[in-house]
Amino acid sequence: MTALTEIRASTPRRKPVSHAMLIAGAVAALAVGAALPWIVPTKIAMSLLAQAMFDALLATSVGFLILQNGRTSFGQAAFFGLGGYTVGVLVARQWVAPELALLAALVLPTAVAFLLGLVISRITGVAHAMLTLAVGQAFYEVVFRWRELAKGDDGMSFDLPARVFGFSARKLQDPAFMLVLSWTILVLILVGLVLFTRSRVGQVAAAIRDNEERARFLGYSTVMPPALVYAIAAFIAATAGILQACYNGYIAPQMFHWSTSGFALIMAIIGGAKFIFGPAIGAIVLFYIKDFAGQFAEYWPAIVGGILVVVTLTMPRGVVGLALLLWRRGTGR
Amino acid sequence: MTGNVIEGIGLSRRYGGFAALDNVDIAVKQGEIRGLIGPNGAGKSTLIDVLSGRAVNRSGKVLLNGEDISALTPQERRRRGMARSFQRTNIFPDLTVEQQLLVAAWAVPGADIAEVMDELRLTELADIPAGEISYGDQRRLDLALALVGRPTVLLLDEPAAGLTMEESLGLARILRDLANRWKVTVLLVEHDMQVVFSICDRITVLHLGRSLSEGTCAEIRVDPTVIAAYLGTEA
Amino acid sequence: MLIQILNGIVYGGLLYLLAVGLVLIFGLREVVNFAHGALFMIGAYIGFSIAAMGYWWSGLLVSVFAMALVGCALDAAVFRTLRKHDHIVTVLVTFGILLILETVVTKVWGKAYLTYPVPPLLAGTVSIGGSPFPIYRLFVIAVSVAVAVSLSLWLRYTRAGLYIRAASTDARVTSMQGINVDRLSLIVVGLGTALAGLSGVVAGPLLSLSPTMGNYILIDSFIVVVIGGLGSFAGAFIAALLIGQIHNFGAVYLPWAATVLPFMLMVGILIWRPTGFAGSRT
Repeated sequence: MTALTEIRASTPRRKPVSHAMLIAGAVAALAVGAALPWIVPTKIAMSLLAQAMFDALLATSVGFLILQNGRTSFGQAAFFGLGGYTVGVLVARQWVAPELALLAALVLPTAVAFLLGLVISRITGVAHAMLTLAVGQAFYEVVFRWRELAKGDDGMSFDLPARVFGFSARKLQDPAFMLVLSWTILVLILVGLVLFTRSRVGQVAAAIRDNEERARFLGYSTVMPPALVYAIAAFIAATAGILQACYNGYIAPQMFHWSTSGFALIMAIIGGAKFIFGPAIGAIVLFYIKDFAGQFAEYWPAIVGGILVVVTLTMPRGVVGLALLLWRRGTGR
Repeated sequence: MTGNVIEGIGLSRRYGGFAALDNVDIAVKQGEIRGLIGPNGAGKSTLIDVLSGRAVNRSGKVLLNGEDISALTPQERRRRGMARSFQRTNIFPDLTVEQQLLVAAWAVPGADIAEVMDELRLTELADIPAGEISYGDQRRLDLALALVGRPTVLLLDEPAAGLTMEESLGLARILRDLANRWKVTVLLVEHDMQVVFSICDRITVLHLGRSLSEGTCAEIRVDPTVIAAYLGTEA
Repeated sequence: MLIQILNGIVYGGLLYLLAVGLVLIFGLREVVNFAHGALFMIGAYIGFSIAAMGYWWSGLLVSVFAMALVGCALDAAVFRTLRKHDHIVTVLVTFGILLILETVVTKVWGKAYLTYPVPPLLAGTVSIGGSPFPIYRLFVIAVSVAVAVSLSLWLRYTRAGLYIRAASTDARVTSMQGINVDRLSLIVVGLGTALAGLSGVVAGPLLSLSPTMGNYILIDSFIVVVIGGLGSFAGAFIAALLIGQIHNFGAVYLPWAATVLPFMLMVGILIWRPTGFAGSRT
């Protein structure tokens, strides 16, 4: 194999992490999360890191689709936006109780993605990228013009309700609280994804990803498992959208834009989409590079673009893949 | 019940203007290992594709244990005990050998992968992603995927393709052995005559999409029409 | 009404120029060039800079030539190196290049909207059906038609054109015939990007220049390419006209339908015929 391999490189040969180690890891991560308000120096830093968590969730959504379905989507932002807009619009209009608004904001994008997945799961590669791009942009254009919904391209701010699930909702806009909350959600989702990939449905979906025809001849419906994966990915994206919308108290059409999808995809690739936590790492890496870039912030898109090009050409398995490789070489495994 | 496990009656299939299969009949009895041979372009793979549901026949019927399965999907055919392998290796490159055999097993209630792994000598390769094993091992894996769950009918499209003579004959022996022990009916497309003659009970010969001849190995070996067909296509 | 239709044709013409470039590049390299919109934009900015000094027509020529060079560089450095890999990888790289180019433009020319002047030769209006219609817009239509005609003549009657049509159908078989696909691609990709630059310069006086001017039209040109059918230049022409009309009429009469319809068409066609995009070769 040369350094320039396909994104769909083969999985590393290693014994899977045992359940006990997984739980231990999760608990440790959650503990770190709980301690974050004391680790992170300023409120501003916490706020930025919270935003990075939202990015990490969206990136995970994109990456999971690549990992489990072998599909690249340029339109995951559609579900990110749907999540944010559903909660924002419902809460602003006070049509339903805030708890129901949250539920709707999770269910709607997931259902849409599932239905979409049923139809498009057999489409691969560049066609799939273009198609998802179109779907995402269609949402964007509609929301951009729909002034009655949420003020169109101006975007809309909304007030959070007083209480949600018996707790004060105002906490959602406290940087420290949101940071811990979103970190916790991220960890839980990552653990959930690991469990999914080990489940029968997950493995069947992986088989379908690898060879749809053979899976068919083994006796499997090759439409359901991929559609389920689409639904799960959308759920994660919607969660990110809900968190961001509530934190900022603001929704805007940009949430649906293909550049939002694109950046999430970049984070997933930089981190390494073949690993479940790769995209999240990618988002955090990019966050710190941006922080580090400081005065070069105006060059940011170029920096990201450059990193993408470099990573795609030299590190097809992303930062995580590279780290694992170095670690294995170092420990002589 | 005629005792025919798998039967094709009057099967035809066209690709554009080209008739890949033209009114072909074939009937294989329970427990038989039938070879399917013929010069290139004879329609052997197409026949397997039609019988397995990968391609749809324009006319004619496919019967499985007397039941007309012509309209059934590959998934439904698998549930009725029909499995197949592929000419171009059709495995799951990113799954380990064990993982994909498990996936195959989950689709068949009560299936056990240990016996298949053992018979086809895949046990040491269990944790290796299939994309990384040798070609010969991949061919055995391709066959193993079809054998999981002990299907009643096995359709094989050139299982020995690309293997050395030694590997081919070895595979053939395993196949013959398993077919007898597990009572599998086998229809096997193969170019390699040594393999065909070593394990097949009867042979069907196709030529230019039509059924040319059928008989035991001894009969086919000396059949003048068969010889002519092969010699004729050497030009 | 007639004016409306003409305006639709104008936009369709711009789309056509971009779509042709995309089809050329995809036909030979099987790559969807996300950077195409950025090339459109840079073409416009380069032309603008020279036009601002008083040399409008030189601006056009320099821009087209510069973009052709960029295309050759892109083909040699990126498309050729990555041709054995998953096509989606190259798409991602072009996306990265898009981001880089956008930043370059912002740095060099700033974010402010710039106005591209109309050359004195083409200033003024002409009366069509009783209403005034800018001569410049007729010029845009003329350019698009000229390119369409020259292209179809070139494809049909020259050897290079034959090679392109052959390679677009099957690059592997064509290279086995002894045709140097790499050298052909260099020309073709360069031509494709040159057309993007041409479209940019020509579009300049119509839209205002900004670092994001390429985004919207890029999406529309993707739609044109998909609806027109990959590899089909005639299809691109018709689709461009169609989308141009929808875009214009929609803006006035049915903004909603006009916005969503092209996307729905695109999605529908991709679902119906995904293999136009090298479906099995992920």
